[in-house]
Amino acid sequence: MSAALLQILLNGAASGGVYALVALGYTLIFSVLGVINFAQGALFSLGGYLTFLLMGGRIGVNGALPGWHLPVALPFWMALLLAAIGAGVVALLVERVAFAPLRRRGADPLLSLITSLGAGVVLVNLLQILMGAEGYAFPAGAAALEGLPEALLIGGARIRTVQVVLLLISAGAVAALTVWLERSRTGQAMRAVAEDPTAARLMGIHSGAIVRLAFLLSGMLAGLGGGLIGLSVSLAGPYFGISFGLKGLAVLVLGGLGSVPGAIAGGLLMGLAEALIPSAASGWRDALAFAVLFAVLVLRPSGLLGRRLQEKV
Amino acid sequence: MNTIALLELDQLQVHYGSVQALAGVSLRVNRGEFVCLLGSNGAGKSTTLRAISRLVPATGGEIRWRGGDLAKVPAHRTLRLGIGHCPEGRRLLNRQTVAFNLELGAYLRRDRLGISSDLDRCYALFPRLAERRRQQAGSLSGGEQQMVAIARALMGRPELLMLDEPSLGLAPKLVAEVMGVLEALHKQGQTILLVEQNAQAALEIADRGYVLEAGRLQLEGSAKDLLGDEQLRAAYLGQ
Ligand SMILES: Nc1ncnc2c1ncn2[C@@H]1O[C@H](COP(=O)(O)OP(=O)(O)O)[C@@H](O)[C@H]1O
Ligand SMILES: [Mg+2]
Repeated sequence: MSAALLQILLNGAASGGVYALVALGYTLIFSVLGVINFAQGALFSLGGYLTFLLMGGRIGVNGALPGWHLPVALPFWMALLLAAIGAGVVALLVERVAFAPLRRRGADPLLSLITSLGAGVVLVNLLQILMGAEGYAFPAGAAALEGLPEALLIGGARIRTVQVVLLLISAGAVAALTVWLERSRTGQAMRAVAEDPTAARLMGIHSGAIVRLAFLLSGMLAGLGGGLIGLSVSLAGPYFGISFGLKGLAVLVLGGLGSVPGAIAGGLLMGLAEALIPSAASGWRDALAFAVLFAVLVLRPSGLLGRRLQEKV
Repeated sequence: MNTIALLELDQLQVHYGSVQALAGVSLRVNRGEFVCLLGSNGAGKSTTLRAISRLVPATGGEIRWRGGDLAKVPAHRTLRLGIGHCPEGRRLLNRQTVAFNLELGAYLRRDRLGISSDLDRCYALFPRLAERRRQQAGSLSGGEQQMVAIARALMGRPELLMLDEPSLGLAPKLVAEVMGVLEALHKQGQTILLVEQNAQAALEIADRGYVLEAGRLQLEGSAKDLLGDEQLRAAYLGQ
């Protein structure tokens, strides 16, 4: 394999891993509630900004408190973990205000598309008030990657170390989550709630708690993605998560709604397809992403690995 | 009677919105008893079981379990208290295997040895499930699915086993098989509350019965008396 191709593949896999994180976040909530959480993109932004702040980053001149910074400067790993937890907690809040009241009143689940979109807009605007609309780069030299060279030579290909970190962390998170869903008692309960919440309750499963757990985890996945993209690219303004949210949505549909392996495969496919576009024509990347989606859906309306669409009995 | 009933409904009412489904139903199930709740379609049988499982809230009256009020108990706690509910329409996880469904029935239990011996017991009770344990529940025949639903409820080791029309849609031979299993469980000491439209089949194996009509109890008595009751025969046994 040529070094150039390897480089493309690794870069594609790295961004594909982040897409898979976002898509898995959607998948978790979709499988237990049958709805899409449109605040996912905003949680992605939040994860990026929280990581930045926890690493000791300063608020810019257009922010609410110019020059302010947290009295801590955590290494990237720790900041990322805490930011993910923070985004997860905010996701719980989103569930509280945008989903739970509708479910309590037995409203049409489709309404939560609007309420969650609203929650996302509020979140992004709060970020904008606090941080301003400007972009932020993570503290110089990616402090956390100290000791590692800027780029690694893998099979003759020059890969930025950050990309490798990105790939490893997202792959690790995806693998851990998949195994946990498959093996653990709580994963078993989650699958039961996903398929029949009433039956699950009769088996003694607290379906409300399982729904909240799904929100916590999906918020953590979004937060993780935001922090990773912040590190490898930058934070391009409070809205930067929204485009990843949309891409994740495309990946979700591409892989098959509600399918965990589908979200992973869809993410990788999307990342690789984009990486094949030379950076000179990078404006075409989003167009390509949605062209791939379109083509797959024409051939397989239920997505790559989705169950064939059928009536619920 | 001076003993405390295991389960006692006192003037239970349930509304769906403004529609009254139960208009004051009182019944009791004593420990070790096999009670059946009969009635035609829409009489409120399933609603009664759903109210006991707390899937729907009671809008009046009381549900007492071992003498205590059940009003504040959420649905996911009823099995922990000993109330097992094999619901209308079976509600299996169709995409999961038979074994997964049965293990889910034991979700609250931590006694691995007890669970595996109960699994063996279920497969002994329904031998055809043993051969199909790795199959998706949704791929089974209606009768087999009903057996999975009953076995899943048993895996929770409920003190009271409530079953909602287990004979619905089954061929007569399978109805006999399912009723035979219930009879055997009762002989082993299982307390059972069986909801049925098939009054004949239920009364042949039950101790006592109640007949529900449009949300109210019409008749109650020993299974033997009910089987001989003119009114019931005319209405439900088609004779
Ligand atoms: N989810 C519901 N919403 C509104 N009405 C309902 C609902 N479920 C049952 N009902 C009504 O309540 C009454 C009793 O229903 P049900 O308990 O299912 O009867 P049974 O099990 O005896 O056939 C019926 O009139 C039925 O139409
Ligand atoms: Mg019914």
